[in-house]
Amino acid sequence: MLASLTRELLQSLRIALQAIGAYTLFFVRLLKEVPRALLRFGLVVEQVHNAGALSLVIIMLSGLFVGMVLGLQGFDLLERFGSEESLGSAAALGLLKELGPVVTALLFAGRAGTALASELGLMRATDQLAAMEMMAVDPIRRVVMPRFLGGVLSMPLLAAIFSMIGIFGAQLVGVQLMGVDTGQFWSQMRSAVEFGDVMEGVVKSCVFGVACSLIAVYEGYHSVPTAEGVGRATTRTVVISSVVVLLLDYMLTAVML
Amino acid sequence: MPVNQGCEASASERDALVRVRGLHYSVSQRPIFAGVDLDIERGSVTAVMGPSGTGKTTLLRLITGQLMADRGLVEVEGQDVAGLQRDGIYRMRRRMGMLFQNGALLTDLDVYENVAFPLREHARLPERLLRHVVLAKLQAVGLRGACKLMPAELTGGMARRVAIARAIVMDPQLLIYDEPFVGLDPISLGVVLRLIRRLNDTLGLTSIVVSHDVHDLSAIAGFSYLLSGGGVIAAGPPSALATDTREEVRQFMHGLPDGPVPFHYPAPDYLEQLRQLG
Repeated sequence: MLASLTRELLQSLRIALQAIGAYTLFFVRLLKEVPRALLRFGLVVEQVHNAGALSLVIIMLSGLFVGMVLGLQGFDLLERFGSEESLGSAAALGLLKELGPVVTALLFAGRAGTALASELGLMRATDQLAAMEMMAVDPIRRVVMPRFLGGVLSMPLLAAIFSMIGIFGAQLVGVQLMGVDTGQFWSQMRSAVEFGDVMEGVVKSCVFGVACSLIAVYEGYHSVPTAEGVGRATTRTVVISSVVVLLLDYMLTAVML
Repeated sequence: MPVNQGCEASASERDALVRVRGLHYSVSQRPIFAGVDLDIERGSVTAVMGPSGTGKTTLLRLITGQLMADRGLVEVEGQDVAGLQRDGIYRMRRRMGMLFQNGALLTDLDVYENVAFPLREHARLPERLLRHVVLAKLQAVGLRGACKLMPAELTGGMARRVAIARAIVMDPQLLIYDEPFVGLDPISLGVVLRLIRRLNDTLGLTSIVVSHDVHDLSAIAGFSYLLSGGGVIAAGPPSALATDTREEVRQFMHGLPDGPVPFHYPAPDYLEQLRQLG
């Protein structure tokens, strides 16, 4: 019993290590292609539009509601200590350092990540990637790399928009609805939020951008070329991205605190 | 007919664009090829036929360097494919065109851009010249008027013809067709058949057509190989294969339901199984 459990554990560990190794090799290959990809920046811009601009609505709506909930919960909590005027700084710090990057990354994985994975998976299933190979065009260079870079560039921009709209949502509830003083709300925020806090959010969203985009393109590119395989790749993209984002968030927070 | 007799008779080694010798290839220890020898004569249309699962597409992938042989030699234009690095394989592929079963058109590009794709990637042509080349290729397949359509708007036959236009846009020496007749209506099939022959003759190409449509291939191929059981079981002009009396060749060429390739998938005795079920 114990022996079989140990065997299974070792087997799982081996599979996990193999996956990490494969991801690392794929990432290194992508990094090597960065200079060439930047030379054809038009392809990257196209993907920034696909991954970024097309995710704007969901990001803005989610940002607004998260900010509004933060305003309500924050007001309720701070009112107990008689410091509801700190709502602005609490909402801003929470959004900039934590909620903005994390929720944006989770939404990105669900919207843009799945779109990337399924697009690449379908390209594989319909022989489009093989056709490129046969035309002596490297699919990693022509298809994968612009999508990866598009995702990486989109994420910090989306996170910034999410946080901005979130602060507006918190202000809407805190100031307009619950009666917190406007001046107090904004001045507390300005005095509490430092450049380092903003940078913490930027660094996190950049790292999450790399992680989510890498997972999406890897899973899509390596999907089994069947309908079931594409479905699995899409599901794996969301699941792995979500877990990795939360894990990285803890690690980054621990490092940057 | 001895397996290599036709080969020696019709495609002398010095005139072979593709030469395969002693090819062995396995997938997960299941042998696909065990000693295949064949030549593709320069300027010919050569058919590679065989029942499903005999490795026809695998053979193409080995010729194009998408797969590497376990043992044996695969030579294209005198170059050993196994000895080529990635760049070398890409250089070789620039002189090849391949038509996939479903056309494999890039779904986010229209017909014009699909055909222009290899040129945009490899040749820095002025837009005007590029347009001229692309429209000429589309004219050759009769689809110049469809250049603004998206792949989703094309019929199966049209998609196949666009894929042919894309395959010839770089003026390749070797054109490879993987199951080009699958799912085509009789009119589209006739069009594609004629195109394969006409393009081969007018552009001076060498064509390999992989299919199991015996009769269609007979109309255009000058030479054919029949693959089965990991090797070439017959080689020669399609008309010669049609009169071959060997059982496995006869079964394939005449579409007989039972023979060396059994109708029933291997299974335990049916009566015994029924008894067990009660």
